[in-house]
Amino acid sequence: MNPLKATGVPAKSGVNKTIIDFLDKAVEKKVFDAVIVPMKTPAQDSYSYVLVKEKSLLKEDGVPLPPTMFIQGAKAVSSITRRGKPPMKIAAVMRPCEIRAAIEIAKLGQIDLENIFLISMDCPGVLPTSDFLKDPKKHEQLFEEAIQKNDDSIMRPVCQICDKSSMIAGDLHIGTVGTKKGTFLIISNTSKGENVLKELGYTLNESIESWQKKVTAISADKKKKRKKAHAELKSKVSGLKNLVETFSECINCHNCMRVCPVCICRLCYFDSDKVKHTADDYLSRAKSKGSMRFLPDTTLFQMGRMMHMSISCVSCGACEDACSMSIPVAQIFSMIADETQSVFDYVSGRSIDEPIPLVAYEKEELSSVEDAHD
Amino acid sequence: MTKTIQTTKSTEEAVKDFLKTLLEKEKVCGVFTLKKITSKAVAYTLVTDPAELDDAVPLYPLMPVNAGKLLSRFSLKGSSKKPVIAVVKPCELRGFVELIKREQGSIDNLFIMSFTCGGVFPTSTEVDGTAEKQLGSYWETVKKGMVNKDVRPTCQSCEEFIPYTADITLEVLGKTDIDKQCIMHITSKKGELLFEDNKNKFIEKDLDTKKLDTIRKQRSQEKEKLYEQLDKKLTNIDGLIEIFSKCLSCHGCSKVCPICYCKLCEFESADAEYGPSQYDSELKKRGGLRVPPGTIYFQLGRLSHISISCVACGACDDVCPVDIPVAMIFKKIGESVQQMFDYVPGKDYDEPIPLVTFENEEFSEIEE
Amino acid sequence: MEIKIGVYICECGPNIAEKIDIEKVINAISSLEDIAVVEKFSLLCSADGKKYLSEQIKKNKLTHLVIAACSPKEHEKTFMEVCEQGGINPFLFQMANIREQCAWVTEDKDEATKKAIRLIKAAIKRVGYHASLDKKMIESNPNVLIIGGGIAGMEASLQLASKDRKVFVVEKNDSLGGLVQNFEKSFDDMKLTSEILDKKIKQIETNENIKVFTNSEVAEAIGFFGNFEINIVSQSNETEPVTINVGAIVVATGSNLIDLTDNTQYGYKKLDNVLTSIDFEQMNLSGNITLKNGKKPKSVAIVHCVGRDEKGYCSEICCMYSLKFSRYLKDKIPSVAINHLYSDLCIPGKHHQNFYEETKTDKISFSRSSDIKITQKGEQLNLTYSDEKNKTTNLLADMVILSPAIAPTNDAAKIAAITGISRDEQGFFEEEHEKINPVSTSTDGIFIVGCAQGPKNIADSIVQSEAAAGKILSSLIPGKKLEPEIKTSHISESFCIGCKTCLTVCSYGAITFDETKKVSVVNEVICRGCGNCVAACPSGAAHSKHFNFNQLYQELKEAVE
Repeated sequence: MNPLKATGVPAKSGVNKTIIDFLDKAVEKKVFDAVIVPMKTPAQDSYSYVLVKEKSLLKEDGVPLPPTMFIQGAKAVSSITRRGKPPMKIAAVMRPCEIRAAIEIAKLGQIDLENIFLISMDCPGVLPTSDFLKDPKKHEQLFEEAIQKNDDSIMRPVCQICDKSSMIAGDLHIGTVGTKKGTFLIISNTSKGENVLKELGYTLNESIESWQKKVTAISADKKKKRKKAHAELKSKVSGLKNLVETFSECINCHNCMRVCPVCICRLCYFDSDKVKHTADDYLSRAKSKGSMRFLPDTTLFQMGRMMHMSISCVSCGACEDACSMSIPVAQIFSMIADETQSVFDYVSGRSIDEPIPLVAYEKEELSSVEDAHD
Repeated sequence: MTKTIQTTKSTEEAVKDFLKTLLEKEKVCGVFTLKKITSKAVAYTLVTDPAELDDAVPLYPLMPVNAGKLLSRFSLKGSSKKPVIAVVKPCELRGFVELIKREQGSIDNLFIMSFTCGGVFPTSTEVDGTAEKQLGSYWETVKKGMVNKDVRPTCQSCEEFIPYTADITLEVLGKTDIDKQCIMHITSKKGELLFEDNKNKFIEKDLDTKKLDTIRKQRSQEKEKLYEQLDKKLTNIDGLIEIFSKCLSCHGCSKVCPICYCKLCEFESADAEYGPSQYDSELKKRGGLRVPPGTIYFQLGRLSHISISCVACGACDDVCPVDIPVAMIFKKIGESVQQMFDYVPGKDYDEPIPLVTFENEEFSEIEE
Repeated sequence: MEIKIGVYICECGPNIAEKIDIEKVINAISSLEDIAVVEKFSLLCSADGKKYLSEQIKKNKLTHLVIAACSPKEHEKTFMEVCEQGGINPFLFQMANIREQCAWVTEDKDEATKKAIRLIKAAIKRVGYHASLDKKMIESNPNVLIIGGGIAGMEASLQLASKDRKVFVVEKNDSLGGLVQNFEKSFDDMKLTSEILDKKIKQIETNENIKVFTNSEVAEAIGFFGNFEINIVSQSNETEPVTINVGAIVVATGSNLIDLTDNTQYGYKKLDNVLTSIDFEQMNLSGNITLKNGKKPKSVAIVHCVGRDEKGYCSEICCMYSLKFSRYLKDKIPSVAINHLYSDLCIPGKHHQNFYEETKTDKISFSRSSDIKITQKGEQLNLTYSDEKNKTTNLLADMVILSPAIAPTNDAAKIAAITGISRDEQGFFEEEHEKINPVSTSTDGIFIVGCAQGPKNIADSIVQSEAAAGKILSSLIPGKKLEPEIKTSHISESFCIGCKTCLTVCSYGAITFDETKKVSVVNEVICRGCGNCVAACPSGAAHSKHFNFNQLYQELKEAVE
């Protein structure tokens, strides 16, 4: 574990400008050859990640902290590094949960982190996509105001209870909360990140104490909210009846699965031949109850997906935004992920060196479960 | 003149009774229809116990999933041994027929009941409960045969609201006495098998083509209006980029589309992935590349693959998380492709898909 | 292709006929779909039975065969051969066990019959989903690699080498012989070890079918039983690495004593005249047993069981060699007083008790002890300990010889990684089965002998070497073709996303990762068809050829419906 080191930079006119200036400097000095950063789309009604080499494009259109997360950043990074490490040094700027997802899927062979520099920032949350789309211009303003007022009530439900909004898992992190007035911190978390700062001529002697203190306080407050929210949610979805009712409007479109950064399978088990049965199979199942929703197995898909990815869920909320039937999937999956990950003392995406419990063999483990069979 | 069975009951009640009787008399072993599963939600259900049909809503104006896709899944591995009857909307039926042409299902042992359709609400109305609230006004417009402004745009502009290949066709659209009378047209020889006990009760009657033509004209006008609005945006590649700039490549549109049946979509396979050499050259050419790449490529690719068979059901619109008007785009382009071959998807089982038919002389304007 | 399933029910003498109503079974089965014929027969595994079956297959033009009889463990192979004789692929066959699972578990004829019908129906359903699978044959290499040139390795090489079978011995030190080289004599015949060793070394050196690489190590071993490629590197930079091909590997890398450098209890390397057993053997071999000050010891304490509690196992040979040490000492210093401190005495076997009795004389005492601590007291060593009665007591000695636990060698982890064999919790190489397969490992074609497998004496090491040689001689016959597992798994290239989850759960090293295509690939020759990868793959891109989803699902559904 590398100790965190930091340098102070002038806060200028907000975190977006600060980060763009930093990236611009790095590209100029050829510390990075290209950058993956969000940009506003030509229609001005959304943001997308762009791999950009041309400095002028970066400077004019880059928005490192956009009000929405259209695509989970880890997916953007993986789309160009799945087939092998980039032949150039690329910095990817995205929110902490996106960085964590990138690290998590790097462990699953989906991202080659060599030549990739992951940069995050303190995250105020992100707006639900559907809200944003109602009036993009208005919501951009609301987002800015929310950051100023420290108000997360307009953000995704999972953002409002996120206790990892300043968690550093990548190479560099821009600290904006609890810092000296007029200053932001650029914090290095790895030797890779440290070298970047050194190459750019920064001296790493800034104290992170006040930032760390504030971050800890925010996280503690969020943890309380999280506990409360989960207790309420649990009573709503617990038990088979409640579970089935929660997912009663699910149409099995699988949007949630496809936007999830951790769901990487090319052909999902629940789209494969294994869930395709014969007409008479379906009829005999229907007969056993008198009627059967068709296609069946909606809850099976939800629970199955949960079983497969819960250990790696980063609680980003992309699934809930994509759900065509407005089911609170992210809140449910995030709640369960807390529990499954804590069984193994695991935090998804925390460190590239920490193997995913699924593939880590321990001779003695979960004795409370295993001994029950003796 | 087709044979009809007429009942002095509301159409919905008559249909439910009829389906129950079919099950009770074991003429079918299963009924496939919409059923109310909660106060707000409806879902297609396979029913084997007649009592379970009590809360069936066969004509409910919602299409949570295109039933053609569901019937394909039902019969993908072969038909059932005993007959089943399905109540589906015309575009769902056409979607099913297009899938059958591609070996993705079978009509054997499957009876289809359909109806002249007034359209469906977007699925968001199921979520927020407005579907239930708007039911009253919906049926009023259906009875009068007017275009209902609350239904999917593709429904407002749909000209193919009369089913082609159903075994039983109900009079619904433009039927003012739908609450008091049910008229079932037996529109295939196969359909007669279900009415062997009622042979003597047949009345010869045709659908009111005059009324339906008037309705079609209204729909066509609506279509032209919607196309005009679309044309303002769908100008050239830049227009296309703008319309699809919100697209997140979630492929939801593909997954709910009845015509998209590939196990592994080409645009999700390894072939569609960008390797370092690809984005390197893109960066050299243009200085920047949207990632993940291939948004427009996917849309155009899907268009080129399915437009010949697009039945304009509108399921793609409802599933899109960023409210892109995919359905109208695909409908418009689908229609122009289909017109090139004088092809109406799902009209006729025996009509091969133009994609796989070879004509010696074709497209002379292009070829020459 | 039309499916025609033939179902044959074996009466198995009285075994099945008396416990199951076979007529009822025949009636229940005959009307099922795709059944061409249902017949019963007295004893299908007999010569007559097999003849009958292959004739039936041909007569009825069967495409699939279902046999309801005993356990597949008994006769699956038999009936698969019958299929081949009858002209159908042996995998278009399924057995329903209606003997061990029906006739032999209940007296209730009704229940047994009902269950038999279910099982046969399930087998019929399953067999419809079977695919023809083809046998593979690969040419095997009869040569053998032996890693380690100690007593076990040497013995194996002599047993195996012949003109049709070359043996390659790779020894990391500059000479053959291993640890035994340090012993003047070995228990309990107390003969000079040099006599045995020199003879064996000479035999090896003059054997033209054995090639010895000294000062060398194995850097890489890839492949499978019958076909390994080995890379040998020399410690001297002058020699080029050598690549050889062998069909089997014997790991005979021996052991070490546990490291007592950090141990404070016994004063090893901190106090003078505290020696380990190997130190003492070497001192004895040199001919001069002396203290640091050059004088001869008048009293010697031999401490058994050093590190036994910490390690949790008894090292088998230390008590015996400790007795041997008493004899060494008495031979060279007749008047020396010897004290053995032990927690338990381990003297098993035909000859050892005698050896102990004969060693136990006056001036050689044996005391049960625990919590031994050794400190300096003047020129002597003071051993304090709790005696049999738990009373703290002490004894003084000029010299202390420690008998430390036997541990794996320092390079055991490296060798395990190179060969892909597993190690037990102590770090010794793990045998396939303690009782049934003590010299094989879970990797086909790799054997472990001698102390590499666990502490043992010379005689037992030789026994293991002969056992491993026997296994190799009988299975790796020169010119023989090997038949690898046919019911392997397969990973769909188009569906694999390259997450490598399957790789982490394959115990046989049968899955490799194609870096260009970024997909996992199963080596069909090494794959043992265990199905771990199939279970672990989240998307189902990995599937088993003979245990695929449909086969299992349909069988199960039929059985429980």
